This record gives sequence, C-alpha cells and structure tokens, in this order.
Amino acid sequence: MRLNLILYIVLIFFAIATVNSEHQYRNNYSRLDIEKKTTSELRDKKTKLEIEESDKSGNQRIQTIASEKLKMYTPNKKEVKVVR
Amino acid sequence: MINTRKKQPEFFELSKLRRRFVLIMLLSLFIALFSRAIYLQGINKDFYQKEAENRSDRTVKLHAYRGKIIDRNDNVFAVSTPIQEITVNPSVLVASAKQKNKLARLLSLSRKELEKKLQKNNKFVYLNRQLSPEKAAQIMALKIIGVLSNKKYKRFYPAKEVAAHLVGFTGIDGDGLEGVEYFSNKLLAGEPGYKKILKAEDGRIVDDLQDVKIPRDGQDIQLSIDKRLQYTAYRALERAVEKHAAMSGSAILLDAKTGEILAMTNYPSYNPNTKGKSIDFIRNRVVTDTFEPGSTIKPISVSAALESKSIKPNSIIDTSADYYKVGTSRVKDTHKYGKISVKEVIQKSSNIGAIIIGEKVEPKYLWNTLNDFGIGQKTGISFPGEVGGKLTHYKNWRKTDHQSATFGYGMSTSLIQLAHSYTVFANQGNIKSVSLLKTKDPTLGRRVISKKTSDEMLSMLESVVKDGTAELAKVNGYRVAGKTGTSKKLGPDGKYGQNHIGSFVGIAPVSNPKFVIAVMIDTPSVGSYYGGPVAAPVFSTLMAEALKIYSIPQDDFTEADELKREAKPDSII
Repeated sequence: MRLNLILYIVLIFFAIATVNSEHQYRNNYSRLDIEKKTTSELRDKKTKLEIEESDKSGNQRIQTIASEKLKMYTPNKKEVKVVR
Repeated sequence: MINTRKKQPEFFELSKLRRRFVLIMLLSLFIALFSRAIYLQGINKDFYQKEAENRSDRTVKLHAYRGKIIDRNDNVFAVSTPIQEITVNPSVLVASAKQKNKLARLLSLSRKELEKKLQKNNKFVYLNRQLSPEKAAQIMALKIIGVLSNKKYKRFYPAKEVAAHLVGFTGIDGDGLEGVEYFSNKLLAGEPGYKKILKAEDGRIVDDLQDVKIPRDGQDIQLSIDKRLQYTAYRALERAVEKHAAMSGSAILLDAKTGEILAMTNYPSYNPNTKGKSIDFIRNRVVTDTFEPGSTIKPISVSAALESKSIKPNSIIDTSADYYKVGTSRVKDTHKYGKISVKEVIQKSSNIGAIIIGEKVEPKYLWNTLNDFGIGQKTGISFPGEVGGKLTHYKNWRKTDHQSATFGYGMSTSLIQLAHSYTVFANQGNIKSVSLLKTKDPTLGRRVISKKTSDEMLSMLESVVKDGTAELAKVNGYRVAGKTGTSKKLGPDGKYGQNHIGSFVGIAPVSNPKFVIAVMIDTPSVGSYYGGPVAAPVFSTLMAEALKIYSIPQDDFTEADELKREAKPDSII
C-alpha cells in the first residue's frame, strides 16, 4: 500500500515534470524562432547596406563624378613625367 | 480436533446490490462513450472535419541562405536580397471590388488580368514571384483573406555587365545556371531545412511546432578577381571593340606568381539582373571559345628549339625567300627581313623564320613542349563550358602540321590557355596553375623550360614591345614583354576568309614579372586588324592600372638599355 502511494506520487511528479518540460520547450522554441527572424532581418539589412556601399563605391560612379564633377581626366603621355 | 469453521469461497462474492451498481456504472460509461462517438462522427461530423482540414500540421521547407560571391577585397559580386512572393488561394478569397482594384494596381495588372488569375477553380496561384518588400507590405495592408505573402530571396549582381560572364546567374528557383553560380552551386546553396507547422486552410501559419531539420546556409565564395581591374579590363575592351567595330573582345589578367585570375571579361556582355538574356552574349568566351593563336605561339616553338639546342639565341635565320611552302599554301612575311637573328624572328614576328626554326625541332619534342605549356589542355579551373582546344598528337602530324604548329596554325586554344602558357616566361621556366579562387600562399610551379631559355625568351619578348610589333603595349615607367598574334578566321565552309583575330599576350614588369595579360579582339573591321594596333592598347591600359593599383615598383631602365646591344652572329641557317 505504501509502495503504491510512493509510486503514485512519483508518477504525478514525472507527469508534471513532463508537462513543464514541454512548456519550456515551446517557450524556448518560440524564443529561438524570434531570434532567427531577427537574424534574418539583420542579415537582410546588412545585405542592403553592402549593396548600397557597392553602388556608392562603384567604379562607374567614381568615374562619372571624377570626370563630370571634378573635371579629372587621364593624363596623356606628354603630360606624364616618370620620376626615378 | 474437528475443524468446525465454515469453508471460505475461493473468490469474494459481491453482494447483489454492488454487482448491479458496477454493471450500471460500466453501462453508463459505455453509453457515454457511444453517444460521444455518435456526436463526433455523426451529428457534428462536418464541423470537425472542416476544423481538421483547416488546422493541420504540415512539414514546410526552410530556406537556406545562398552564399555570397565576393572579389578578393570582399566587394560583392552576387548577393541574395529579400523579395516577396504573393500568392492567393482563390477558393477562399474574400475581397471587395475596391480591394481588388487596389490589388491590381499594386501588382501592375489590369483588373481583367487579375480576375483571370483569381478564377475559383484554382487553389493556388502566384500573383507575383518577385515583388519588393515595400509593395508586398502595401498588399498585405489591404488585409484580403486568401492573399498571402512569402519571403524569398533573389540574386542581385551589383557589378552588372562587368562581371556577368564570370559570376553567371541563377534561375527563378535560385539554382545557378551559369558561371560561378553554376559550378559552385552546391557550396553556395547550402541545404534547406524542414519544420512542422500548424497551418490554417487559408494558408495562415497558426503555430510553429518543431524543427525537423535545421537549414545549413550556403558558403561565401571568394574569387581571386579584383573588381577594380575587372572594371578597367571591361572598359578598355569596350573601347577597343567599339573603335575597331569588332565582333567581340576578351581579356584575362593573371597574377604571374600565384596563377590567380585577377580579371576575366568579355565585351559585349549582358546584365544578369534583367530577364531575357541574349544567348549570344552569355558564354564566357575567355574559356569557352577557341581560335588559332597564330604568332603568339612562336615564343613556345622557339623555346622548344632553344631547349633542344637546335638553335642558339644568336643564330641567324635566312628569311629572304618570298614565301615558304607549307603544303599547298604559301606562307609569307609582311615585309622582307632577310637574314635576321632569332630575337628578330620574334620581334618582327617572321612566319618564315618561325617555320625554319620549328622544322629543326623533332615533331615529338615540339609537341611535348606545346603540351607542357598547356596548349590543347583545360586549365583546371572547372569553369562551366571550358574547352581544351585542339592539338593533334605528333604521331598524326603530317609535314604541314609540323610546319603550321611553329607559327600557331593547325591548332586551337582558348585565351585562358594562352595566358596560362605565358606564366612560364614570367616564372623563369615554371608554369603556374590557374585559379579562380583567392589563394593565400604562393603556388608551386612545374618546370617546363630551363631558367636560361626562359630569360632569353623574356628578353626577346621585351624587344617586341620595345622596337617590334607591339609598341602600343608600352607602359610608362615599366619594362614590358609580350607577343602579338594575328590569325585568319576559318569561315563556315572550313576555309580561311577575310576575317581576323588580333591578339596580344604580355608580361610586366620584366625585371620581376607580376602580371600576365592576354587580350583577343575578334573580327576587327575598322582600321587595322593586327594584334599590335587592336589588342596591345587594351593590354597597356589594363597593365598600367594593375601596376598602379598594386604599387609595383618601376623598372630600372639601365637593364633595358642592354637590349640595344646586338648579339654576335653565330651561324646562318
């Protein structure tokens, strides 16, 4: 009779522990999912910035600004002096 | 003593009342269960069936982030950017006329086109597969039941036409179809994952249940390409092709020490970000197209002659004949050069001289040397569509094949093979493996010719730029070596027509070679068609930029002045 009672209490304990563990799992899974979404959003933001950087530092853009805005040009051979 | 106690029955017998109570309890329980079963499966069947259909757990695919393709300085060549996929389940769609009008406007569709897509007999329809996140957010703000938005990724290529042939592109499902995107698809793509979700019938995700498999994101691929040089090469080619109204142009720049490809481009090109790419411009012609290399092969055949000691560097070759018979053809030089040195054969690109020298080399030896230089073989970069070219085995050579091979006819090579072969002269006789991926350590080479022969050849090649056919390849402040090539193109009938390919392969700085560049201009039709005027200027522009960007010290010209000294004549051949 006493043994049965002990087993019954143990059973109840493990049942509650199982429910708790399942609850914890769902909670943690939900948090992990949120973190994954944040990671993805941050990565998308980083990609956007990388593309923007690539666009701003693009050779074509630099060349256009250099020639049109700053009036720069490649010197011809007569204008080049090689210093040794 | 007689036992007078009444014998106990084997089982305890319940009283009548108790028995009835247990029976009634069991019966009640059974009736309750039976009634519930009738209620669930009979009376309220439709409701529960609908609920079950509405909320079912499904396994969905989790997207693995496709790796980036970057250049050697971490500049982006290809990256995945988020886009939204708009889908609809017309069978559950609930939308007012006003909502439909707004939806059509945001999707850039007419109302009629939208209505066609929303026909009720469909359960799943794509409204737009590549919509910007901003527009998708506006659509979702309409709160139309049955319309769903799903995040996807689309490849974006910031370098556009400049690196299109190299990087390639992906299809609508994200798989690589060309270039690096294709041959590194497995590494870039990673592995998708799976998770169990609870989904409503209209497609809404009610709950995330569990991960079945976590996705493994793709790896980034770092190429050996330098975006700055890639751009310079493209623009220089563009200018040359436009100036000479050529069919196309290709260029490749190698790091002579490591074998890394620093630039590889073609013109005309295409924009990989737009749809409807013309099939004519998709090929990376540097690796997929072959041509008869012509005079750019002469340094290799002369190397074979020097190595086999068939000639000496100061031997004199008599090229005074009007022509040299190769089979039924007559091979001529552009000018009559008379008796010239081996160096002058290279410098002036004498076909007759090259044949006379080449004939002195055993076919087997010449073939082996060409083979060792990588002619007729794939370079090993595993680029899709790479061809090995053609170099007939010496056992199948007739006399004309032997003679043609000495000045670059009767064989075909790709531009990358030509550049690869010249790494021999840039590395004191060692050939370097070509790599499209960034390498950290200097690579070991394979010896092809002796250091002595290589140095002699480099000196001859320098004279080509200094006083020979490629003066336009000069770079201020640096000693440059190289060889021009002009070959006739075979027509569709298999005969040589009027079209030419002008090419140039060069090395700089000669004192400590750092770069090898090969340029090819296909069918120049305005101005000259020779390699010197059409291809050498592209080389000069690109080499000057490469030397400047990599801060390569300028050459000491006192060494170069030694070139002026004429070699003593040895023997007349």
